[in-house]
Amino acid sequence: MTPLPPALLESVASAAVRDGLADAVFTRLSTPIGRLLVVQGDRGVVRVGFEEEPDDGVLAEVAARLGPRIVGSDRELTGTRDALDAYFAGEGDPHELPVDLSLVAAPFRRVVLDTLHDEVGRGQVVTYGALAQRAGNARAYRAAATACARNPIPILVPCHRVLPAGGGLGAYGGGPERKRALLALEGAPTSAR
Amino acid sequence: MQLPPFWTLVEAHGDELLVHARRVAGDQHAEDVLQDALLRALRAYPRLRHADHLRAWLYRVTTTAAIDAHRARRRELPTDEVPAAATHDRYDEGAFESLIAPLPDGARDALRLRFIDDLDYEGIADRLGISAVAARQRVSTAVRTLRERLAA
Repeated sequence: MTPLPPALLESVASAAVRDGLADAVFTRLSTPIGRLLVVQGDRGVVRVGFEEEPDDGVLAEVAARLGPRIVGSDRELTGTRDALDAYFAGEGDPHELPVDLSLVAAPFRRVVLDTLHDEVGRGQVVTYGALAQRAGNARAYRAAATACARNPIPILVPCHRVLPAGGGLGAYGGGPERKRALLALEGAPTSAR
Repeated sequence: MQLPPFWTLVEAHGDELLVHARRVAGDQHAEDVLQDALLRALRAYPRLRHADHLRAWLYRVTTTAAIDAHRARRRELPTDEVPAAATHDRYDEGAFESLIAPLPDGARDALRLRFIDDLDYEGIADRLGISAVAARQRVSTAVRTLRERLAA
Protein backbone atom coordinates (compact mmCIF):
# COMPACT_ATOMS: atom_id res chain seq x y z
CA MET A 1 0.00 0.00 0.00
CA THR A 2 1.39 3.40 -0.92
CA PRO A 3 1.76 5.44 2.24
CA LEU A 4 0.04 8.78 2.50
CA PRO A 5 2.36 11.54 1.23
CA PRO A 6 3.50 13.74 4.16
CA ALA A 7 2.81 16.83 2.04
CA LEU A 8 -0.87 15.88 1.86
CA LEU A 9 -1.08 15.62 5.64
CA GLU A 10 0.72 18.93 6.05
CA SER A 11 -1.76 20.68 3.76
CA VAL A 12 -4.70 19.19 5.60
CA ALA A 13 -3.24 20.32 8.93
CA SER A 14 -2.41 23.82 7.64
CA ALA A 15 -5.90 24.26 6.20
CA ALA A 16 -7.37 23.04 9.48
CA VAL A 17 -5.37 25.57 11.49
CA ARG A 18 -6.15 28.37 9.03
CA ASP A 19 -9.88 27.64 9.16
CA GLY A 20 -9.89 27.44 12.96
CA LEU A 21 -10.78 23.74 12.89
CA ALA A 22 -7.94 22.48 15.08
CA ASP A 23 -8.33 22.23 18.85
CA ALA A 24 -4.61 21.45 19.11
CA VAL A 25 -1.60 20.71 16.91
CA PHE A 26 1.17 18.27 17.69
CA THR A 27 4.66 17.54 16.40
CA ARG A 28 7.29 14.89 17.12
CA LEU A 29 10.79 16.12 17.77
CA SER A 30 14.08 14.20 18.05
CA THR A 31 16.24 15.43 20.91
CA PRO A 32 19.29 14.25 22.86
CA ILE A 33 16.92 12.96 25.57
CA GLY A 34 14.83 10.99 23.11
CA ARG A 35 11.82 11.71 20.99
CA LEU A 36 9.37 14.26 22.37
CA LEU A 37 5.72 14.66 21.50
CA VAL A 38 4.81 18.36 21.76
CA VAL A 39 1.13 19.36 21.75
CA GLN A 40 0.08 22.97 21.43
CA GLY A 41 -3.34 24.62 21.71
CA ASP A 42 -4.46 28.19 21.03
CA ARG A 43 -2.93 29.49 24.23
CA GLY A 44 0.38 27.66 24.14
CA VAL A 45 2.07 24.31 24.64
CA VAL A 46 -0.26 22.16 26.70
CA ARG A 47 1.59 18.84 26.88
CA VAL A 48 5.05 17.43 26.27
CA GLY A 49 5.34 13.63 26.23
CA PHE A 50 8.50 11.58 26.57
CA GLU A 51 8.95 8.70 24.17
CA GLU A 52 7.88 6.04 26.69
CA GLU A 53 4.43 7.56 26.85
CA PRO A 54 2.23 6.21 24.06
CA ASP A 55 1.30 9.02 21.66
CA ASP A 56 -2.34 8.00 21.56
CA GLY A 57 -2.63 8.30 25.33
CA VAL A 58 -0.96 11.71 25.44
CA LEU A 59 -3.13 13.02 22.60
CA ALA A 60 -6.26 11.56 24.23
CA GLU A 61 -5.45 13.47 27.45
CA VAL A 62 -5.30 16.68 25.47
CA ALA A 63 -8.43 15.79 23.49
CA ALA A 64 -10.36 15.30 26.74
CA ARG A 65 -9.54 18.87 27.74
CA LEU A 66 -9.22 20.90 24.53
CA GLY A 67 -11.36 18.87 22.12
CA PRO A 68 -10.85 15.97 19.71
CA ARG A 69 -9.86 17.97 16.62
CA ILE A 70 -6.15 17.36 17.03
CA VAL A 71 -3.92 17.47 13.96
CA GLY A 72 -0.25 16.73 13.42
CA SER A 73 2.01 19.24 11.70
CA ASP A 74 5.71 20.02 11.85
CA ARG A 75 5.20 23.13 9.75
CA GLU A 76 2.53 24.72 11.93
CA LEU A 77 4.77 24.30 14.98
CA THR A 78 7.98 25.52 13.35
CA GLY A 79 8.52 28.24 15.97
CA THR A 80 8.12 25.80 18.84
CA ARG A 81 10.38 23.24 17.18
CA ASP A 82 13.07 25.86 16.51
CA ALA A 83 12.99 27.08 20.12
CA LEU A 84 13.36 23.54 21.44
CA ASP A 85 16.10 22.68 18.94
CA ALA A 86 17.99 25.81 20.01
CA TYR A 87 17.57 24.88 23.66
CA PHE A 88 18.99 21.40 23.11
CA ALA A 89 21.83 22.93 21.10
CA GLY A 90 22.74 24.87 24.25
CA GLU A 91 21.21 28.23 23.36
CA GLY A 92 18.40 30.07 25.03
CA ASP A 93 15.63 29.00 27.31
CA PRO A 94 12.43 27.76 25.71
CA HIS A 95 10.39 29.26 28.53
CA GLU A 96 9.65 32.23 26.27
CA LEU A 97 7.27 29.79 24.60
CA PRO A 98 3.76 30.28 25.95
CA VAL A 99 2.43 27.37 27.97
CA ASP A 100 -1.11 26.41 28.83
CA LEU A 101 -1.49 24.63 32.17
CA SER A 102 -5.12 23.71 31.68
CA LEU A 103 -4.32 19.99 32.09
CA VAL A 104 -3.44 20.74 35.71
CA ALA A 105 -6.70 20.55 37.63
CA ALA A 106 -5.54 21.32 41.18
CA PRO A 107 -5.25 25.11 41.72
CA PHE A 108 -2.20 25.05 44.00
CA ARG A 109 -0.31 22.74 41.67
CA ARG A 110 -1.07 25.11 38.85
CA VAL A 111 0.33 28.03 40.86
CA VAL A 112 3.46 25.99 41.63
CA LEU A 113 4.05 25.20 37.96
CA ASP A 114 3.26 28.76 36.89
CA THR A 115 5.75 30.11 39.41
CA LEU A 116 8.38 27.62 38.29
CA HIS A 117 7.81 28.51 34.66
CA ASP A 118 7.99 32.27 35.27
CA GLU A 119 10.76 32.47 37.86
CA VAL A 120 13.30 29.67 37.55
CA GLY A 121 15.39 30.18 34.45
CA ARG A 122 18.05 28.22 32.66
CA GLY A 123 21.03 27.31 34.84
CA GLN A 124 19.16 27.95 38.09
CA VAL A 125 17.91 25.35 40.55
CA VAL A 126 15.46 25.57 43.43
CA THR A 127 14.43 23.21 46.24
CA TYR A 128 10.90 21.85 46.56
CA GLY A 129 10.51 23.86 49.79
CA ALA A 130 11.70 27.11 48.23
CA LEU A 131 9.39 26.55 45.27
CA ALA A 132 6.44 25.97 47.60
CA GLN A 133 7.31 29.18 49.42
CA ARG A 134 7.49 31.17 46.21
CA ALA A 135 4.13 29.73 45.26
CA GLY A 136 2.71 31.10 48.50
CA ASN A 137 2.79 28.21 50.96
CA ALA A 138 6.17 27.34 52.42
CA ARG A 139 4.88 24.21 54.17
CA ALA A 140 3.43 22.71 50.98
CA TYR A 141 6.67 21.22 49.70
CA ARG A 142 4.98 17.84 49.26
CA ALA A 143 2.32 19.41 47.09
CA ALA A 144 5.10 21.12 45.16
CA ALA A 145 6.74 17.73 44.64
CA THR A 146 3.44 16.25 43.45
CA ALA A 147 2.94 19.17 41.08
CA CYS A 148 6.34 18.42 39.55
CA ALA A 149 5.78 14.67 39.42
CA ARG A 150 2.61 15.26 37.40
CA ASN A 151 3.86 18.18 35.34
CA PRO A 152 2.18 17.87 31.92
CA ILE A 153 4.75 20.14 30.23
CA PRO A 154 8.22 18.92 31.26
CA ILE A 155 11.23 20.88 29.97
CA LEU A 156 9.15 24.03 29.24
CA VAL A 157 7.91 24.06 32.82
CA PRO A 158 11.33 23.21 34.23
CA CYS A 159 10.70 20.61 36.94
CA HIS A 160 14.17 19.27 36.24
CA ARG A 161 15.42 22.42 38.05
CA VAL A 162 13.73 21.44 41.30
CA LEU A 163 15.94 19.46 43.69
CA PRO A 164 15.47 17.97 47.16
CA ALA A 165 16.87 20.09 50.02
CA GLY A 166 18.67 17.03 51.41
CA GLY A 167 20.94 16.74 48.38
CA GLY A 168 20.95 14.55 45.30
CA LEU A 169 18.88 14.67 42.14
CA GLY A 170 15.54 13.57 43.46
CA ALA A 171 12.79 12.17 41.34
CA TYR A 172 11.79 13.14 37.81
CA GLY A 173 8.79 12.19 35.71
CA GLY A 174 11.04 11.41 32.77
CA GLY A 175 13.51 9.45 34.91
CA PRO A 176 16.59 10.69 36.82
CA GLU A 177 18.90 10.24 33.80
CA ARG A 178 16.95 12.82 31.84
CA LYS A 179 16.97 15.20 34.79
CA ARG A 180 20.74 14.87 35.03
CA ALA A 181 21.14 15.35 31.28
CA LEU A 182 18.99 18.49 31.22
CA LEU A 183 20.83 20.05 34.17
CA ALA A 184 24.17 19.19 32.59
CA LEU A 185 23.02 20.76 29.32
CA GLU A 186 22.18 23.94 31.24
CA GLY A 187 25.43 23.92 33.19
CA ALA A 188 23.43 23.79 36.42
CA PRO A 189 24.34 21.98 39.66
CA THR A 190 22.86 18.50 40.04
CA SER A 191 22.41 18.75 43.79
CA ALA A 192 21.09 21.46 46.13
CA ARG A 193 23.93 20.87 48.66
CA MET B 1 -18.43 9.52 25.04
CA GLN B 2 -14.96 10.59 24.07
CA LEU B 3 -13.87 10.72 20.46
CA PRO B 4 -10.27 9.72 19.81
CA PRO B 5 -7.90 12.51 18.73
CA PHE B 6 -8.64 13.05 15.04
CA TRP B 7 -5.07 12.52 13.88
CA THR B 8 -4.94 9.12 15.56
CA LEU B 9 -7.56 8.05 13.03
CA VAL B 10 -5.73 9.70 10.16
CA GLU B 11 -2.47 7.96 11.07
CA ALA B 12 -4.23 4.62 11.49
CA HIS B 13 -6.35 4.70 8.32
CA GLY B 14 -4.83 7.34 6.03
CA ASP B 15 -3.02 4.87 3.79
CA GLU B 16 -6.08 2.75 3.11
CA LEU B 17 -8.23 5.86 2.65
CA LEU B 18 -5.87 6.97 -0.09
CA VAL B 19 -6.29 3.58 -1.74
CA HIS B 20 -10.05 3.99 -1.43
CA ALA B 21 -9.86 7.51 -2.88
CA ARG B 22 -7.92 6.13 -5.86
CA ARG B 23 -10.57 3.49 -6.40
CA VAL B 24 -13.50 5.88 -6.30
CA ALA B 25 -11.91 8.99 -7.82
CA GLY B 26 -9.06 7.66 -9.93
CA ASP B 27 -5.33 8.25 -9.42
CA GLN B 28 -5.40 11.74 -10.85
CA HIS B 29 -7.90 13.14 -8.35
CA ALA B 30 -7.32 10.86 -5.35
CA GLU B 31 -5.10 13.14 -3.29
CA ASP B 32 -7.31 16.21 -3.74
CA VAL B 33 -10.36 14.16 -2.88
CA LEU B 34 -8.75 12.73 0.24
CA GLN B 35 -7.55 16.14 1.37
CA ASP B 36 -11.06 17.53 0.97
CA ALA B 37 -12.52 14.48 2.71
CA LEU B 38 -10.23 14.81 5.74
CA LEU B 39 -11.15 18.48 6.15
CA ARG B 40 -14.85 17.69 5.85
CA ALA B 41 -14.43 14.94 8.40
CA LEU B 42 -12.58 17.27 10.76
CA ARG B 43 -15.34 19.86 10.42
CA ALA B 44 -18.03 17.32 11.22
CA TYR B 45 -16.03 15.42 13.84
CA PRO B 46 -17.16 17.17 17.06
CA ARG B 47 -20.78 16.73 16.02
CA LEU B 48 -20.59 12.94 15.76
CA ARG B 49 -22.93 11.40 18.25
CA HIS B 50 -20.96 8.25 18.86
CA ALA B 51 -17.43 6.96 18.44
CA ASP B 52 -18.33 3.69 16.69
CA HIS B 53 -17.39 2.74 13.15
CA LEU B 54 -15.13 5.75 12.68
CA ARG B 55 -13.16 4.00 9.98
CA ALA B 56 -16.32 3.22 8.00
CA TRP B 57 -17.40 6.82 8.51
CA LEU B 58 -14.12 8.08 7.03
CA TYR B 59 -14.64 5.79 4.04
CA ARG B 60 -18.10 7.28 3.53
CA VAL B 61 -16.86 10.85 3.83
CA THR B 62 -14.17 10.05 1.24
CA THR B 63 -16.73 8.50 -1.10
CA THR B 64 -18.96 11.56 -0.74
CA ALA B 65 -16.04 13.90 -1.42
CA ALA B 66 -15.27 11.90 -4.57
CA ILE B 67 -18.87 12.19 -5.76
CA ASP B 68 -18.94 15.93 -5.12
CA ALA B 69 -15.59 16.46 -6.84
CA HIS B 70 -16.84 14.54 -9.82
CA ARG B 71 -20.03 16.62 -9.98
CA ALA B 72 -18.05 19.84 -9.63
CA ARG B 73 -15.81 18.81 -12.53
CA ARG B 74 -18.84 18.00 -14.66
CA ARG B 75 -20.36 21.38 -13.90
CA GLU B 76 -17.22 23.02 -15.20
CA LEU B 77 -17.72 21.39 -18.60
CA PRO B 78 -19.70 23.43 -21.11
CA THR B 79 -22.97 21.57 -21.28
CA ASP B 80 -26.60 22.47 -21.40
CA GLU B 81 -27.46 19.57 -19.18
CA VAL B 82 -29.00 20.71 -15.90
CA PRO B 83 -26.47 19.85 -13.17
CA ALA B 84 -27.47 16.81 -11.21
CA ALA B 85 -28.84 17.78 -7.81
CA ALA B 86 -25.80 18.89 -5.85
CA THR B 87 -27.51 18.34 -2.56
CA HIS B 88 -25.63 15.26 -1.50
CA ASP B 89 -23.11 17.07 0.60
CA ARG B 90 -24.28 15.40 3.77
CA TYR B 91 -22.14 12.69 5.28
CA ASP B 92 -25.03 10.34 5.83
CA GLU B 93 -25.70 7.13 4.05
CA GLY B 94 -28.06 8.82 1.59
CA ALA B 95 -25.21 9.86 -0.67
CA PHE B 96 -23.72 6.41 -0.55
CA GLU B 97 -27.08 4.79 -1.28
CA SER B 98 -27.74 7.08 -4.21
CA LEU B 99 -24.28 6.36 -5.56
CA ILE B 100 -24.78 2.61 -5.48
CA ALA B 101 -28.48 2.67 -6.42
CA PRO B 102 -27.93 1.71 -10.09
CA LEU B 103 -26.00 -1.46 -9.20
CA PRO B 104 -27.56 -4.91 -8.93
CA ASP B 105 -28.63 -6.14 -5.48
CA GLY B 106 -25.68 -8.44 -4.96
CA ALA B 107 -23.17 -5.69 -5.72
CA ARG B 108 -24.94 -3.23 -3.44
CA ASP B 109 -24.96 -5.72 -0.58
CA ALA B 110 -21.25 -6.34 -1.00
CA LEU B 111 -20.46 -2.61 -1.01
CA ARG B 112 -22.57 -1.93 2.06
CA LEU B 113 -20.89 -4.74 3.96
CA ARG B 114 -17.49 -3.43 2.91
CA PHE B 115 -17.90 0.30 3.37
CA ILE B 116 -20.81 0.80 5.78
CA ASP B 117 -20.41 -2.24 8.02
CA ASP B 118 -16.67 -2.07 7.57
CA LEU B 119 -16.18 -5.84 7.21
CA ASP B 120 -13.10 -7.45 5.73
CA TYR B 121 -13.46 -9.92 2.86
CA GLU B 122 -13.76 -12.91 5.18
CA GLY B 123 -16.54 -11.13 7.04
CA ILE B 124 -18.33 -10.29 3.80
CA ALA B 125 -17.88 -13.88 2.62
CA ASP B 126 -19.50 -15.15 5.82
CA ARG B 127 -22.46 -12.85 5.52
CA LEU B 128 -23.07 -13.61 1.86
CA GLY B 129 -22.28 -17.30 2.05
CA ILE B 130 -19.59 -17.08 -0.61
CA SER B 131 -15.80 -17.51 -0.57
CA ALA B 132 -13.47 -14.69 0.46
CA VAL B 133 -12.04 -14.61 -3.06
CA ALA B 134 -15.52 -14.25 -4.49
CA ALA B 135 -16.32 -11.52 -1.96
CA ARG B 136 -13.24 -9.56 -2.93
CA GLN B 137 -14.12 -9.98 -6.59
CA ARG B 138 -17.67 -8.85 -6.05
CA VAL B 139 -16.54 -5.69 -4.21
CA SER B 140 -13.89 -4.84 -6.76
CA THR B 141 -16.20 -5.41 -9.73
CA ALA B 142 -18.83 -3.20 -8.10
CA VAL B 143 -16.30 -0.47 -7.39
CA ARG B 144 -15.01 -0.65 -10.96
CA THR B 145 -18.54 -0.40 -12.34
CA LEU B 146 -19.18 2.65 -10.19
CA ARG B 147 -15.98 4.26 -11.31
CA GLU B 148 -16.80 3.69 -14.95
CA ARG B 149 -20.21 5.23 -14.38
CA LEU B 150 -18.69 8.23 -12.65
CA ALA B 151 -16.17 8.67 -15.44
CA ALA B 152 -18.84 8.36 -18.13
